[in-house]
Amino acid sequence: MAHDERRRPVWVGVATFAVLIVAWFALTTWTSTIGPGRFPSPREAFDALRQIWVQGYADARLPVHALHSAKLVLLGFVAAVGLGVPLGLAMGWSRTCEAFANPTFLLLRPIPPLAWIPLAIVWLGLGDAAKVLVIWFAAFVPAVINSYSGVRSIEPHLVEAARTLGVSRRRMVTEVLIPGALPMIFGGLRLSLQACWTTLVAAELIGAIAGLGHVLYQASLDLFPAMIVVGMVAVAVTAALMTIALDIVERRAMPWRRA
Amino acid sequence: MVATENPAARGAKGSPVSAIVFDHVSREFERDGTSFPALSDVSFTVQDREFVAIVGPSGCGKTTCLRMAAGLEFPTAGTVTVGSRPVTAPGPDRAVVFQQFALFPWKTVHENIDFGLRSKSLPEKARRERIAAAVAMMGLQGYESAFPHQLSGGMQQRVAIARSYVLEPDVLLMDEPFGALDAQTRVVMQEELIKLARVNPRTVLFITHAVEEAVYLADRVVVMTRRPGRIREIVDVLPVRRAERWDRFDRSEEVMDQESFVHLRTRIWRLLRGEQQPEGTVSSSTGGSAS
Repeated sequence: MAHDERRRPVWVGVATFAVLIVAWFALTTWTSTIGPGRFPSPREAFDALRQIWVQGYADARLPVHALHSAKLVLLGFVAAVGLGVPLGLAMGWSRTCEAFANPTFLLLRPIPPLAWIPLAIVWLGLGDAAKVLVIWFAAFVPAVINSYSGVRSIEPHLVEAARTLGVSRRRMVTEVLIPGALPMIFGGLRLSLQACWTTLVAAELIGAIAGLGHVLYQASLDLFPAMIVVGMVAVAVTAALMTIALDIVERRAMPWRRA
Repeated sequence: MVATENPAARGAKGSPVSAIVFDHVSREFERDGTSFPALSDVSFTVQDREFVAIVGPSGCGKTTCLRMAAGLEFPTAGTVTVGSRPVTAPGPDRAVVFQQFALFPWKTVHENIDFGLRSKSLPEKARRERIAAAVAMMGLQGYESAFPHQLSGGMQQRVAIARSYVLEPDVLLMDEPFGALDAQTRVVMQEELIKLARVNPRTVLFITHAVEEAVYLADRVVVMTRRPGRIREIVDVLPVRRAERWDRFDRSEEVMDQESFVHLRTRIWRLLRGEQQPEGTVSSSTGGSAS
């Protein structure tokens, strides 16, 4: 739609990226301003990538680590969305539901997801279950809040119009409340997904047997900056792929926004 | 639809199927613990298949009247009945056309028109025929699969009117339906509505702040004043329209040029400004008006 307007910023962005790559070469390989013990040269980073891709690092190859992390994020995210979105919708629609849930929610809301990690470890140990629980906490709050505000943001006259047209309760939910709240729900899911990745990496740094956070942790113990950079980029790429998948779902779910 | 009888008295017992009766209706709002009156002792009747417009300044409670007939709000005193049943909830027998169109942005034109219809237990074929008829009536052919935001304001309001008409409601409640449209579109929509009202008459309660629109469209015009909202007078338009044969004109500006039209318009303006005492000659003042 806005192709012509977008083309220029994309090229500007690519140019900035290219300048940064050149600067990376200049500061490491060409001039050695930054020593190899602090930040890797492009060559070292590439070697590290080849090592983890071919031979593996921290007990597994890169795709195994990435898939392991992605699996935990997906589990926690789906569970949080599955519970959070209906709860948020109910709180937005029914005053009773809001009265029951809101005080508890206001209390839990300011707790940073990372602060749940110790409790999760005490409950579930250092295994995957604890990580899924922490990810669930991270994604749950934004999912609830945005679904709740989504329902509240529906223009009242749309609800009134539906009532004057004599719709059933079920159709009010499926054809008015959910589609009306959908743009904000997806905004919330985006935030949730972001929070999931932050939380996951932190949880894996504390203790894990696989995963991208585990790669980062192992590389820091080994004083291996090149592998740290590879791990960071791998987190960025995996998270970006999941965000793109979410975008595709979003566009499918709201065809009226494309038209 | 005889103008000189007392509609409120007649509506109180044994009113026709779709008459709307306001019987000594008052409505108060609460704010910060103090209540202030929005409507005070309003009584009038919209007869079966009569087109009544309410005019008045902002805050005179005219929209509140419509919302009470729709079942979206309720009186603090008095009763509102439609078809001799007290209004307790919204229902598809009383279709509402909102100023902000209130179309569902996530539904196509066809789906929007179908929205209320699907609640009725009609066979698929009958539903499709009704929608096709409504689409043709409002000139929406070719736009069935468009989304509301792809249409102009005038087209959107046509969809909203089609969505109401397709239910074949006894009563049509229109809350400043053309208020959000530009002047040209507004005139076109007024002309179409008056044709529609002739081909397919319904009991209509029409809210507007535009005096010309009210005189052009309505059989009777309820003039309201502000704080609290009261009926100042009810002005009969139908006898003048019939006597002066306004129907022979296709265009609204030709009607609005008629001396009889100008006279009525000026009269209502004076009433709104409070310059003229209510008079009984052309009006059919009801029990509760201009008290």
